[in-house]
Amino acid sequence: MRKADLITGIVLLMLSGYVIQEAWRMPQSGTFGPGAGFLPLWVGIILAILAVILFMTAWRRQETEKDNRSPFPAKRALIAITGVLGGLAVYILLIEVLGYLVDTFLFVTFLMGIVEREKWPRTVMVALATTAGLFIIFQVLLGITLPSNMFGF
Amino acid sequence: MDIFHNIILGFQVASSWENLLFCFVGVLIGTLIGVLPGIGPTTGVAILIPITFGMNATTAIITMAGVYYGAMYGGSTTSILLNVPGESASVVTTLDGYQMARKGRAGPALGMAALSSFIAGTFSVLMLTFLAPPLADYAVSFGPPEYFALTFMGLTLVTSLGGDSPLKGLISGAVGLLAACVGIDAQSGVARFTFDNMNLLDGVGFIGMAVGLFAASEVLVNIEEPMQQVFTDAKLGFLSLFPNLQDWKDSFGALWRGSILGFVIGVLPGAGATIASFMAYGLEKKVSKHPEKFGTGVIEGVAAPEGANNSAAGGAMVSLLTLGIPGSGTTAVMLGALMIHGLRPGPLLFSTHPDFVWGLIASMYIGNVMLVILNMPLIGIWVRLLKVPYSILMPMIITISAVGVFATDNNIFDMWVMFFFGVLGYVMRKLDYPPAPMVLALVLGPMVEMSLRQSLTISHGSMAIFFTRPISGTLSVIALFSLFAPLFRILWNRYRAGKSAAA
Repeated sequence: MRKADLITGIVLLMLSGYVIQEAWRMPQSGTFGPGAGFLPLWVGIILAILAVILFMTAWRRQETEKDNRSPFPAKRALIAITGVLGGLAVYILLIEVLGYLVDTFLFVTFLMGIVEREKWPRTVMVALATTAGLFIIFQVLLGITLPSNMFGF
Repeated sequence: MDIFHNIILGFQVASSWENLLFCFVGVLIGTLIGVLPGIGPTTGVAILIPITFGMNATTAIITMAGVYYGAMYGGSTTSILLNVPGESASVVTTLDGYQMARKGRAGPALGMAALSSFIAGTFSVLMLTFLAPPLADYAVSFGPPEYFALTFMGLTLVTSLGGDSPLKGLISGAVGLLAACVGIDAQSGVARFTFDNMNLLDGVGFIGMAVGLFAASEVLVNIEEPMQQVFTDAKLGFLSLFPNLQDWKDSFGALWRGSILGFVIGVLPGAGATIASFMAYGLEKKVSKHPEKFGTGVIEGVAAPEGANNSAAGGAMVSLLTLGIPGSGTTAVMLGALMIHGLRPGPLLFSTHPDFVWGLIASMYIGNVMLVILNMPLIGIWVRLLKVPYSILMPMIITISAVGVFATDNNIFDMWVMFFFGVLGYVMRKLDYPPAPMVLALVLGPMVEMSLRQSLTISHGSMAIFFTRPISGTLSVIALFSLFAPLFRILWNRYRAGKSAAA
């Protein structure tokens, strides 16, 4: 955790630097009172102070048992998480190409069958039910047009 | 009597078939979410925003409120039977609840949890009924400085009471405020932090952010720590659920102390049901004649926290409705939902939308009755639901979230917002940053900024305006105090450590 705090401290300091620089260019005062850059500038400064405190306290702290353990998971869990996030990204990218129905079915099948290694018959059933259920809720009951592919479904 | 008039109006609104149906749906989903570990009420409410988007505001919020207090009922079931808290407000219930179940008294423990939830829940709705209108009347006279001080206090209290590390809470809140700045500035029309992306001109989408921070990141955390399947063989007949006379005698004090304490803590911005349940348990242990028995399966140890967390859920609605300041992550998400429906919570809500406010309050009476009926006889069914493996739930939760986020605006970009905040939320959870201050800051951000700039316009740039007016002065002092409280604690500890070293 100590290492993580040191790194986040630096990242946050960089973020606040960017914010302060951007806010500086915005008008600081409007016709009557503070302008668009006023709040971002101050929040940026506060964030910079907080980042420095975070960094300094982590820097001065002794390494404890908890600090030696990485807060992030071991390889196997990391693969599962990457799988879910990767699947979600591909799902979002393809939803307007494949259409809601095909894309959602494939997404649920991927998550259950490949990431979670469920049995295939069960996977296909849940995928069908989820796709159909959400289609009924959003498209049929709520009247929202979900994306469709070039063949119209 | 004005209040009776209002209550009758409320029940008229709440008892339309549509509102009754969705109140039922809400408490049902809430119980379900409460029972299932790995999905909490904030996630439930966040996922529901898109689904309730097309409804009228009253029905939508009735459903969400039902999920919120319904989860408080359901959370106790798994705590007692399996030693697995369904959500964070039921963690304390495991201490004595599970011990009671091991001694073969699962029935009375479950029954007491449901009944004390009912009693405390009803108590807090009653208090809400009588306390909210005067508070709203009082707050009508608030000007921009008071609003700034109030929202500022809400933010600082959430950060300082929320997590283990106040510093990390503050960082989370500050980043949330920055996220609120993204988009076109409402007062001057300047585009801020948009990276020349057209989609960001309207600001960071609230739904995408809330669903990402709570639902998506919760899924990611749960994948990593697979929950083992747990079963119970406790036999639960309907009659075995009723606590006996001795149980009632033991729990009576715990029940009313828990109810009052829970309500007060719920009203305070920043402290929610979880803190209320911990404090109620601690209080009971302190006043008890046999504190050593706590943790071995005493019924007061179930009644106090279960009453307190339900009462806190009602109390949180007071500050949400009258002041527009949410007390917890869940109510912060509800505040966002209210704004999406075009309702601005705050003192004026009571005079401009009485049908909404009183309809919601009346629905909470009805919902509490529905819950006790749902929970007592059907407890066996809820327990069986635990056998649904997470490998089925996970794909469903994430798909509902993604499609729901898309459906509110028909905008793919919102799904990317969810993706981004899902990853961010996961990293935050891993590094002990509480997500609630960030969501709260995003929701309150525009109000904070507007009232701050208006106040400084009135005062010609002098910060003194926040301290010279009595109400805003009091609130500002509380805010500053809560901001620096952790610092005082560190100094005090150092002082004591130095003293003992010298001795």
